[in-house]
Amino acid sequence: MDPVVQSESLTKRYGSLLAVDNLSFTLAPGTITGFLGPNGAGKTTTLRMLLGLAKPTSGNAVIFGRHYSELDNPPMRVGAVLEATDFHPGRSARDHLLTLSRAVGISDSRVDEVLELVELKDASKRRVKGYSLGMRQRLGLAAALLGDPDLLILDEPANGLDPEGVRWLRDFMRSFAARGRTVLVSSHVLAEVAQTVDQVLIIGHGRLIAKSSLAELTARVGGSVRVRSPKLSELAQALHKEGIETTATNDHALLAQGITSERVGDIAFASGIPLHELASEGSSLEEVFLELTSEPEK
Amino acid sequence: MISQIRAELLKIRSTRTTLGLLLGLIGLVLLFSLLTGLLSSAALLSVKENQLTLVGDGTIAGVFSALAGIMLVTSEYRFGTIRPTFLFNPNRDRVFGSKIVAGAIAGFLFGVVGEGLVLLVGTIILSARSIPFALSGGDLALLLVGTLIGSALWGVIGVGLGAIIPNQVGAVIILLAWGFVAENIIFGLLPSVGRYMPVHAQNAMIGLASAHLLGAGPGAAVLVAWTVVLGAAGLFLLRRRDVS
Repeated sequence: MDPVVQSESLTKRYGSLLAVDNLSFTLAPGTITGFLGPNGAGKTTTLRMLLGLAKPTSGNAVIFGRHYSELDNPPMRVGAVLEATDFHPGRSARDHLLTLSRAVGISDSRVDEVLELVELKDASKRRVKGYSLGMRQRLGLAAALLGDPDLLILDEPANGLDPEGVRWLRDFMRSFAARGRTVLVSSHVLAEVAQTVDQVLIIGHGRLIAKSSLAELTARVGGSVRVRSPKLSELAQALHKEGIETTATNDHALLAQGITSERVGDIAFASGIPLHELASEGSSLEEVFLELTSEPEK
Repeated sequence: MISQIRAELLKIRSTRTTLGLLLGLIGLVLLFSLLTGLLSSAALLSVKENQLTLVGDGTIAGVFSALAGIMLVTSEYRFGTIRPTFLFNPNRDRVFGSKIVAGAIAGFLFGVVGEGLVLLVGTIILSARSIPFALSGGDLALLLVGTLIGSALWGVIGVGLGAIIPNQVGAVIILLAWGFVAENIIFGLLPSVGRYMPVHAQNAMIGLASAHLLGAGPGAAVLVAWTVVLGAAGLFLLRRRDVS
């Protein structure tokens, strides 16, 4: 299948600062990709170039095979939220959406539809000034959804959201991608997106550091999986047979190294061993991320 | 393009900024026309040229039209809505063109309000003070055309200026400093240069016949030229500039 997004040697230079450095990647349809890196790594600049807001110094980025500005009706193909605060404070949410929808001939009834979808219907006539950050995030999302796009691009959408808002966003991204659509979501905190994404692109100093599925990343960096079972020794043997190292903890659990929780579950199932607990140790994933993106010692 | 223009007009209508500008226009026009109409002596006000100056206060609308035009561009940068605007319509020429049209429409309407008000107040004052109306139909026609077209042009100038200086406060300060200070200094020191400046071209356009001003026709041509130059410069910069 043709890639939804294709970036080839994308480069952006601001004076002496190389913000994005020869960045190449593709996104397959139906995937949720986490675009990760510390603040200042070049994530936002990359997204702006993808969306035609900034011109690349060199290289090329296309969406559905074309430059963003050459798409027939861009908001019908791509929905994007770059900042959570892109509203005139004195304009109502509904009017904000109408200034966008009317520019491209999207019906007013679609505006009411997306307002309902992001649960802002009751507040839609109020000025955005009085909105909480969570409401603003959802209004930004509503604008991105107006054209019922096939690709959603979200820049740091979880910033400033409370846990409930993060959960809402996670469910939303999952249901969006469940229908074969594609999501590219940036974050500087791996944990925010780790439970949602299929694959990660990690960048630092404008360069691609890693591109892998989340499972590969976990395995590669030797993350561990915590597992409890009434047949703990049998489980340890089954895992050792697969070449997986385990350590026993003092609360009668096993830590399996360099493996995903899916794999542990499959092995246990194949061996007929019941499991009482199966959990990826998230902190190790985060450590890996920090290790990958941290500045090398000089 | 038509749909983008509708969207731009909605941007103008959907905040209180425009209402504020309209109230400012009404207040300032009332102040100026009342001061001129009530404080001038009857003998002075009987002179045709002075009556024209009185009802010529409608050109104050130009300032507010330019401010509305500036807001139409700089508010998008100030509040970040330029991002969704360009995401929905990445054709920057069309977005800018639509803002030009919307700015001209808003400017024209501001001109209607300003000139309408000043004519109303002016005729009431003149008849209340039993001063005969000295302006001919031709004078009035030139005044109306000059004010309304001029005000529409100022709306476009505002859009151009906003695109050149996307910083809202900066653009407003430049406009006011230019219109109320710099141009008067230039015209005072070098009238042969000053009469080619936009505010004085606008004054010429309504038929004001004070010394050193251009004729109405050349005045109109000069204001159109300013509009084209500032609009073109604005478009050039808007096209090139990355949106942060």
